[in-house]
Amino acid sequence: MTDPRPAKQPWNKSSKVASFKGGRGFADAILIVVSLLLSAVVFALLLSVLWSVISAGAGALSPQFIYQNNRYISTTTSLEYGGVGHAILGTLWLVLLATAAALPLGLAIAVYLTQSQSKLRNLVRSITQALAGLPSVVSGLFVLSIISFLGAQKSGIFGAMALFPLMLPTVARVAEEALRLVPTDLRLAALGLGAPNYRAFFQVILPAAKSGVITALLLGLARVVGETAPLILTIQANNGTNLNPFDGGVATLPTYIYGFISAGYASSITRAWGASLVLLVLVGILFITARLLTSDKKRKKSKGTK
Amino acid sequence: MPKDAVRRKLGSGVLNRGDRLFFGITSAASYFAFILVALILVFLVAQALPALKEQGLAFIYGSTWEVTPEKAVMQIGPMLYGSVLIALLGVLLATPMAIATAYLIVFILPKNAAKLATNLIDLLAALPSVIIGLWGVLVFTPIAQGWADFLHKYLGWIPLFSTEKGTTSLNSSPFIAGWIVAVMIVPIITSVTREIFSQFDRELISGALALGATRWTVFRRVILPTSSGGITGGVLLGLGRAIGETVAIYYVLQLSMKINLFQILEPRGGAIASWILSRFGEANEVEFHGLMAAGLVIFITTLVINLIANLIVNKAQPWRK
Repeated sequence: MTDPRPAKQPWNKSSKVASFKGGRGFADAILIVVSLLLSAVVFALLLSVLWSVISAGAGALSPQFIYQNNRYISTTTSLEYGGVGHAILGTLWLVLLATAAALPLGLAIAVYLTQSQSKLRNLVRSITQALAGLPSVVSGLFVLSIISFLGAQKSGIFGAMALFPLMLPTVARVAEEALRLVPTDLRLAALGLGAPNYRAFFQVILPAAKSGVITALLLGLARVVGETAPLILTIQANNGTNLNPFDGGVATLPTYIYGFISAGYASSITRAWGASLVLLVLVGILFITARLLTSDKKRKKSKGTK
Repeated sequence: MPKDAVRRKLGSGVLNRGDRLFFGITSAASYFAFILVALILVFLVAQALPALKEQGLAFIYGSTWEVTPEKAVMQIGPMLYGSVLIALLGVLLATPMAIATAYLIVFILPKNAAKLATNLIDLLAALPSVIIGLWGVLVFTPIAQGWADFLHKYLGWIPLFSTEKGTTSLNSSPFIAGWIVAVMIVPIITSVTREIFSQFDRELISGALALGATRWTVFRRVILPTSSGGITGGVLLGLGRAIGETVAIYYVLQLSMKINLFQILEPRGGAIASWILSRFGEANEVEFHGLMAAGLVIFITTLVINLIANLIVNKAQPWRK
């Protein structure tokens, strides 16, 4: 009559190690305490950075700091005048230009790595990974040598060119992971119905991996939006708004911060903190949106399999 | 693997025109990655060659940088050495923190907290280096100076923590630059380590625990030996990043051509990427080529480190394939 098995099988409940109370011995306690302490240092450093930027940056923020540009502003002008409007626009514009090249190329590389049968896939993956470690200053020097080779003037388009090699590997890697998550059955079904590979990709795989590809885009943007060294090397500063990528200087948030820290006055440092806060918010928005999209996808996926 | 078998079969058929175009474009994009690396190399070499020819091998190991309109001596020895010293310091500080954080995330924290911690670490990776630099020079330096004073006061008899006579304030040192670099590479090492830990065969751990092992023994005898290869790869990735770091170090370090061999608290050090940034503004034609040569040195160094690192990481993460 009665079920001989216990209602719950505690040894089956979870395979997580955390559920084993391995509290025996002194060494265990040391291990846990040390691991807690060391990671506390990491989180303390992170929170210190975030808190410094937020608390010091808030002092500079005001509506006109967001939309005004920097014309007629010197390093000692009081904070009621001038802002980073031109730098926000410049940053968005350069990053957009870099994206226009990096997104299609990165996606194409991801497709090559997941859909083709080429023997070179591993080689392509290694070179993309190696590119991911490209120091940003080298990317700047590379474009600078192009500028000097062409005898051209520094301008916005070169800044975007310097951001491109930094953005490409991030987009390619994250997009590859997104495409890999699409069940092979979907693709096989499409091919089985007689669709050519490109239609299977555009009509079945890409829609299924949409949020993952957007995540790739957002993480790529977050990767380059704060890059400083390549922009210092390849664009000229500008105190006004300039959206012509082929002529004249462009202001960007990172170079704005760089310039105002280097000036070294109290008010210029406050401006740098303010611009840092704006940049941090930009990075934060990109990062959090990307994370929300990814967790959304995972939830949907787990529902589907149940 | 069955998945591969399917792939091979799909490719063996004759492709129609649309597919040939589709795969043509994606292959072209992939080959572009090679072309890009080749282009970077070619352009840098072309611009660096005049300086390298002029300076010879002494460019790498010499320690003079004097550019006048008449004559130019450009050697980056102390900067290259300083980069390596700071990167090693950064790795030395970051690796224990990263392993501890990964261990905490995978084996100690409950799922939700672990997720939050993972996101925070990834956010740290996304912080722009100019912001880390600003924080480093204005917020962190005064704090780290206190640590440096402490180390010097009590451990100053160790050559590593000694300073030269007359040095009063222990800021702008390789010690502080090492910390800043550590902040930037902790997320890289943590994410590689975390991934390896999280894919760990739980039965191995359960087995060890069932045999009477403690948490510590499991960590020391099971987890570390199995994942040390992957962690090494992650550390190398961090090392590559550290050597290329520019703006953040530029703010917190006093660049000097007088080589600083091991006195990490001394306010004098080198970082090759930051050196490029500091000289770039006033560089003339000749010095421009010298800076390009310095860039070439960084590029080759990081490329080699990264290729090796990725080889190790890929080998340690077979599930990624």
